[in-house]
Amino acid sequence: MRKFLNGPWVLLMPTLIILTCVVLLPLLLSLWTSFTPFKLTKPDTLYRFVGFRNYERLIGDFDFWIAFGRTVLFLAIALNLELVFGLGIALLINKITYGQRTLRTLMMFPMMFSPILVGFQWKYIFNDNIGLMNNFLREFGVIQPIPWLVDGILANISIMAAEIWSSTSVFAILLLAGLLGIPKDPIEAAKVDGCNSWQVFKNITLPFLMPFVFIAMTIRSLDVARAYDIVQMMTGGGPAKRTELLWTLISRTGYVDAKMGMANAMSYISIFLSIAFTFFFFYKLVEARQRLSYE
Amino acid sequence: MMLRLFLSLVLAVSFFGSFSAKAETELWGDFSGVTLRVKLIGGGQYEGLYNEVIPWWEENTGGKIEIVTQKNHFELDKEIKKDIASGNLDFCVASNHTSFASQYGNIYTDLNNIMPASVLADYTPLILEHSTVDGRLVQMPRHSDVSNLYYQKSLYEDADNKANFKAKYGYDLTPPETWDQVKDQAIFFSNPPDFYGTQYVGKEEAIAGRFYELVIANGGALFDEDYRPIFNSPAGVEALQWFIDLYNAKAVPDGVLNYLWDDTGLGFASGTIAMNLDWAGWAGFFNDPENSKVAGDIGLVRAPMGSGGLRTGWSGSHSFSMTESCPDKEAAASFLWALTSNKAQMIEARGGLSPTRPAIWDAIIAEKKAEGDEFMLMVFETFKMSLAEDAFTPPLIPEWIEFTNALYPELQAAILGDKSPEDALATASKKATEIMEDAGYF
Repeated sequence: MRKFLNGPWVLLMPTLIILTCVVLLPLLLSLWTSFTPFKLTKPDTLYRFVGFRNYERLIGDFDFWIAFGRTVLFLAIALNLELVFGLGIALLINKITYGQRTLRTLMMFPMMFSPILVGFQWKYIFNDNIGLMNNFLREFGVIQPIPWLVDGILANISIMAAEIWSSTSVFAILLLAGLLGIPKDPIEAAKVDGCNSWQVFKNITLPFLMPFVFIAMTIRSLDVARAYDIVQMMTGGGPAKRTELLWTLISRTGYVDAKMGMANAMSYISIFLSIAFTFFFFYKLVEARQRLSYE
Repeated sequence: MMLRLFLSLVLAVSFFGSFSAKAETELWGDFSGVTLRVKLIGGGQYEGLYNEVIPWWEENTGGKIEIVTQKNHFELDKEIKKDIASGNLDFCVASNHTSFASQYGNIYTDLNNIMPASVLADYTPLILEHSTVDGRLVQMPRHSDVSNLYYQKSLYEDADNKANFKAKYGYDLTPPETWDQVKDQAIFFSNPPDFYGTQYVGKEEAIAGRFYELVIANGGALFDEDYRPIFNSPAGVEALQWFIDLYNAKAVPDGVLNYLWDDTGLGFASGTIAMNLDWAGWAGFFNDPENSKVAGDIGLVRAPMGSGGLRTGWSGSHSFSMTESCPDKEAAASFLWALTSNKAQMIEARGGLSPTRPAIWDAIIAEKKAEGDEFMLMVFETFKMSLAEDAFTPPLIPEWIEFTNALYPELQAAILGDKSPEDALATASKKATEIMEDAGYF
């Protein structure tokens, strides 16, 4: 006992207790509810075990899997475009010698808006009747209003535009930090050896930057669910489920229909999605670091 | 439970304004030291009442009101569901609605045991009946909602419109009596993207409710007596086809499937919509030149009839409830009374909302007559008749909202042409059957 009290476990205890209370217990409770027909409005249902019934229903639920697939697609496209735009912005700002600090601050403005506000703004921009986009296009002779938030493809693009506007600066900031840390010597040596700008970027800058890319990807893939508010404000997952993502489906099932057991089952299936993305990006991060150290 | 409340029957007291109210049973008491925690519906239309009634109640009773939450009804609904799940019902009074109340189980007190019969006698009996869940009066009705059809009068007075419409459709252009006429006229008036014949709320419970009332007006029903879905019927398909036809004809804005109540209200006020089915609460806004381009040019008719010869009349009442866990039930009862008293209802009626006390209908109509306000007089007379003769509630079951969430994406899919009306209603019917089965109806 005395050995235990003097050992490292004592020092770890506060952390373990806090993690157990704020992470492990809620996770276990939500896992348990996914095996029950728990309804928020009927607390007694929390104690009725129904085995894998919720999961069995979800496996055969076409709407759920469509939302799942759309979420994967949304994540893949949005994160990659954010990366490309963020990298572009970071490279441009890195070139600037005067006013870089001001530009860095300006660049972070979209991050300062709450996702709900971003959703409202972009809902207004893409409103078919009074929206800025259609009025702008009208100036160029596009008389018939474009139903941005109704058409299946356009609605998803509109939501993606809002999400990309809101979060590209996260990538830009992280990648700019990476760019600032790149040593100048190899770049100058390459230029002396006659490399053009593209060759310098491809063979020196990008490999140095890859660990930052994967760190940014990992952070954003975990954090991207914040876009729920944007989707909810702009389309609510509709019309006709055309923009339904896991986040809107789970939220409606859990809080509006009050079927928290089913919503948690959906969440546990979708957690695999998050784990897969995180695992992939960590794997790539380690790989990029190893390659960098070899070189 | 009998309360030791100070009841006073105030006979023919002119409580304010220029009319004499009928007798009202008041429910005052000394509640010094009592603080009631309340969760209220927020938004411009609703908050004026609180600004007047809360200080009035505090002054007369010595009690205090602490507003814990003030948010739109759908957010409030989510919050209360979370409160139920967590067992954290540490408030006394909350906003409620007849369409939502049955979801909340037994968290709200049966007011039959709290409110004196003389107080309850001041409300419209049918509305109290709609406020009752499983024999328990769980809410005091604040104001009632039903929709009627607003239209731009000048469109119907225009000689060219009259002649062209008659030539095209073979009957006179007059404010519509049937939903088929609404469709004809909406298509006739439309000139997209600058002007549309009509519009409808296009998502969530809103479109499900509109579909529901049209099914009823067409002679159909959503459920049979055992709550088996029966809306996949000729009446249901006809109702859905009405929405589809208007959408395909571009007689409604393209974005209508994302519209909710504010969008349709503001749309009509913008002057770009010919006809608008809407609540009474918008009347004052529509006729205010500062807010509305159609002010002074508004007509109003009772909601038109469907093919079954019935008028649409989806109705419900906003209300206030008292939690079972409230430690100060006497004070809460007094506050519930104050929030729905003659004074409170007169404040809201002046804004165009429909009262739940017969005395206030008489009073507001008398007041508008005395003021010579022909527009608001027309509004109150139309809505009074509509609430008396056309109004019906949705099924007052806990599964109503869940059911509407299953129904509305299918309605949208049919409107957008992703599915035929029959396929969409068949899918919705299947989902509704699952919901009702899970709930143990059959």
